[in-house]
Amino acid sequence: MARSNALEAEDLEQLEQNSGSASAIRETPPGADWNPIEEAFLRRRSVRKYKTRQVPAHLIRRMLEIGRFAPSQGNSQAWKFVVVRDKKLIERMEQYCVDEFKKMSPALDYTLYPQGSLRRWFTRLKARLLNRLDHNMLHPVPMTVLTSIAEGRFAVFHKAPTVILLLVDRRGVGCPEIDIGIVGTNIVMAAQSLGLGTCWIGFSKFLNKNKEMAAQFGAEWPYEISEAITVGYPIGDPAQNHISRQTHEIAWWEDGQKEVFY
Amino acid sequence: MALLNFAQRQHLPIWDDPRESIYHDVVIDTQACDGCKLCVVVCPGNALELVGEKGAKKSRVKDGQRGCISCNNCQAICSHHAIEARQYYDFAGYYKQMGLGEFSPPRRF
Repeated sequence: MARSNALEAEDLEQLEQNSGSASAIRETPPGADWNPIEEAFLRRRSVRKYKTRQVPAHLIRRMLEIGRFAPSQGNSQAWKFVVVRDKKLIERMEQYCVDEFKKMSPALDYTLYPQGSLRRWFTRLKARLLNRLDHNMLHPVPMTVLTSIAEGRFAVFHKAPTVILLLVDRRGVGCPEIDIGIVGTNIVMAAQSLGLGTCWIGFSKFLNKNKEMAAQFGAEWPYEISEAITVGYPIGDPAQNHISRQTHEIAWWEDGQKEVFY
Repeated sequence: MALLNFAQRQHLPIWDDPRESIYHDVVIDTQACDGCKLCVVVCPGNALELVGEKGAKKSRVKDGQRGCISCNNCQAICSHHAIEARQYYDFAGYYKQMGLGEFSPPRRF
């Protein structure tokens, strides 16, 4: 073992010295302009208003082809794509989610009831207890969107002409849900490069609860709908301006010291 | 020391109380706005509206809006650079944001 490692180190040293143009280090000076790939990431927005025009089928195939080459844990590729471009079917998916939300909103959103009322107090207690079971889905942000959807002020699938369902194979290596995020990013960024708008739809998970629809989409064990991505031509040009965002703390360890940047 | 103390962990923020739930907000420069209405159309949360005399309409954030989900599309599509997002979500107690710095456009390093 030690011998082969030594050989490897020798080889590496030689390769580093003889490195020709093929393996030359590409230099990017400080403050350089964004390259096209960086720009694409900076100008990607989650698009929720689409033109009615359908996206040509070959562009969807192109996006999924880029998805196919996404990294995954152990190269397990624990995903399955379901493309829905049938307007009636997308409307049924939307209606099912809205109906579910209409049941959940009055049961959980205590802000619907007057301050000091018994109903508000009781609903808040219920929301608090359920929050302990699922603190991600019952985060304040999806909670407010829940009522918006129930009251018809917000759409689940945003009337997009194409919806791509990302199903996760639960037998995947490690944490297959992360691979769904990675494959989806490949798909979303391929769409961005084609001038298409996309949006991640986490609420698509609710479709798993509809036995008939889940069977139709092949969302049966070991598969499960993990995420969906809506695709369409955006209204306006969401890539026109950069936007601002909050900076995050970055802990930076180097030379035995820690520095903090934002 | 825990990042959230016991009391914070027990406290779920009240969604419609502005002291406990600070939602995203945008600021519109009415000088620069030409009333093209694109931002009102693309806003998924119905948080914007067009107001004013015919021919001089301006976009504005609805009073007491709860719809903004910080998608930032209004800022991204405005050809007059009249819209700016200035604030991020923050919540009291259990969902308190941690480790965040100031708002900034992309910085080239």
